[in-house]
Amino acid sequence: MATTRTGGRTARAVTRAAAGPAGRALSRRPARILGRAAAIAVILLWSVFPIYWALNTSLSTLSGADSTPAHYYPSPLVSTSYRAVLGIGGAGYGISSELGRSLLNSTIESGAAMVLTIVIAVFAAYAFARLRFKFKRTIFVSVLATLLLPAYATLIPIYRILSTLGLVNTYVGVILVYVSGFLPLAIWILYNYFTSIPRELEEAAFVDGASPLVALLRVVIPVAMPGIAAAAIITFLLGWAQFLFPLILTTDLATQPVTVIVAALNEQRIVPFTLLMACGVIAAAIPGILALVLNRYIIQGISAGSIK
Amino acid sequence: MISASFRRRLLPYVLISPLVVFIGALSFVPTAVTTVGAFFRVMPLNPPTAFIGLGNFRALFTNPVILTSWVNTAGYVAIGVVLSVVFGTAIAVALRDRFRFRGVVLALVVLPWALPAVVEAVIWSWIYDPTFGVLNSALHSLHVIGGYHLWLGLNRWLTVLFIEIVQVWQITPLSALIILAALQSIQPDLYEAARVDGAGAFQSFRRISLPLIRPAIAVATVQALVLSLNIFDQVYILNGIAPLGSSVMLQTYVTTFEDLNFGGGYALSLLMTVATAVLSMAALALIYRRVEAA
Repeated sequence: MATTRTGGRTARAVTRAAAGPAGRALSRRPARILGRAAAIAVILLWSVFPIYWALNTSLSTLSGADSTPAHYYPSPLVSTSYRAVLGIGGAGYGISSELGRSLLNSTIESGAAMVLTIVIAVFAAYAFARLRFKFKRTIFVSVLATLLLPAYATLIPIYRILSTLGLVNTYVGVILVYVSGFLPLAIWILYNYFTSIPRELEEAAFVDGASPLVALLRVVIPVAMPGIAAAAIITFLLGWAQFLFPLILTTDLATQPVTVIVAALNEQRIVPFTLLMACGVIAAAIPGILALVLNRYIIQGISAGSIK
Repeated sequence: MISASFRRRLLPYVLISPLVVFIGALSFVPTAVTTVGAFFRVMPLNPPTAFIGLGNFRALFTNPVILTSWVNTAGYVAIGVVLSVVFGTAIAVALRDRFRFRGVVLALVVLPWALPAVVEAVIWSWIYDPTFGVLNSALHSLHVIGGYHLWLGLNRWLTVLFIEIVQVWQITPLSALIILAALQSIQPDLYEAARVDGAGAFQSFRRISLPLIRPAIAVATVQALVLSLNIFDQVYILNGIAPLGSSVMLQTYVTTFEDLNFGGGYALSLLMTVATAVLSMAALALIYRRVEAA
């Protein structure tokens, strides 16, 4: 991965140097720049418009949103939908208590699943990357093979196992299922990161008499922080987005995450779209802000997992 | 006393044991249960459980709603794989070279991947709305359509197409990032040599980029394949349980948790698991072999 980055940087440097003095390249430049700007505008429109549209509707009055032809910006711009779904005023259809509790559930479930996944994955990925033991390859390949295992394969038995153990509609049940689902991807990202760290770093620690475990904790983990952050953020986002598993594993507001509540509000068919869009924006706010602020780690994690 | 060398030999097993327990108990055991359960009659509210051989499969292949969902899922997969890989490649090519605000553009491109599919589907259901939806309004303003249309629920393939577009919107960033990483690892002197030989932009994309990003395209294809074979959230929100746009995953949910026919659910699940494995291997083999030929 480190080589990829440097490779990309050199590529751009060379392209620029080559394009400079060559007359042919110069004359083509304005057309190419225009073409690229148009392409980027289309890409941005495709990526952002639906999100903008949710914001637009959530900030419009009901008559502003229900108009033909559509209004492309909120006029007047109002916060009534947000106040209604947050329980500060107006007809909120009792949404505020459901929304608040389900956001708390989503935070607990995806947060705990993230922490547990990362702790287990860091130790296991280190063992796969650096230590020698029996059946290493078999176990590693079996774990990664579950990346291709569709939800189908496990959905019904997981429900039956959890109901036998009395774990349906509990945080513990949801979290255990999430961890088992997210571990293979976290292992893959961390394994690739660990193998890209030069062994000399740990060998210096071994010379000082450190055990592999001490080397992992004192040397490898601090160096691998960007990779660990990437795996952690991706795991959290996956947890927040879950719908099918919580739909069958949670039965009431004690554990239902915000995705299940948004789907239920949508199904009622009486909640107006202005309020639904406000709920959607609130439900997507935490993953959305995380993705915008920490996108560097997400991009790195996804690219790292795919190159090798 | 445990000796230091024994502890050292034990360490790897200690480090991987939580992983093995999790994957064993919640991936391998369930997969085995699904495989075996597919050949049993399992109805929790209507016992007994009994071995019925291929009975569950026979029932599936005579159920018109489930047969419809198979054909629909083939449509979801075909549209999803083609659109997300083509769009992903186009985005990767457009964003390969450095420009001002490239970081911001990349962050916004990744955004649809990071948001919950359920929320996205609710947003798109409003965009597709037959009376106040912006899609109707925009197409009408541009004189593409004469009157407002009902995009979902009338025509089967139109329904499948418009639901799959919602999934394509979410998964395209994944393809784009995978292919972008591969594009950026290509040695620049290759393009330089092609330019000296008089190759244009399209020529050097076809002769240099495309062969070298084929492994990445293979990975993106398999990702899109697995995700679209599993499509559930978008169908649940935009189509409900109506047969018209139903997917196999949705029918698995209905068969198991609404009809409480667990055996039927196992059989559907097993068929889909096998289909996923076979199609993934086929896609990888096909695209990788072409690299060698190129």
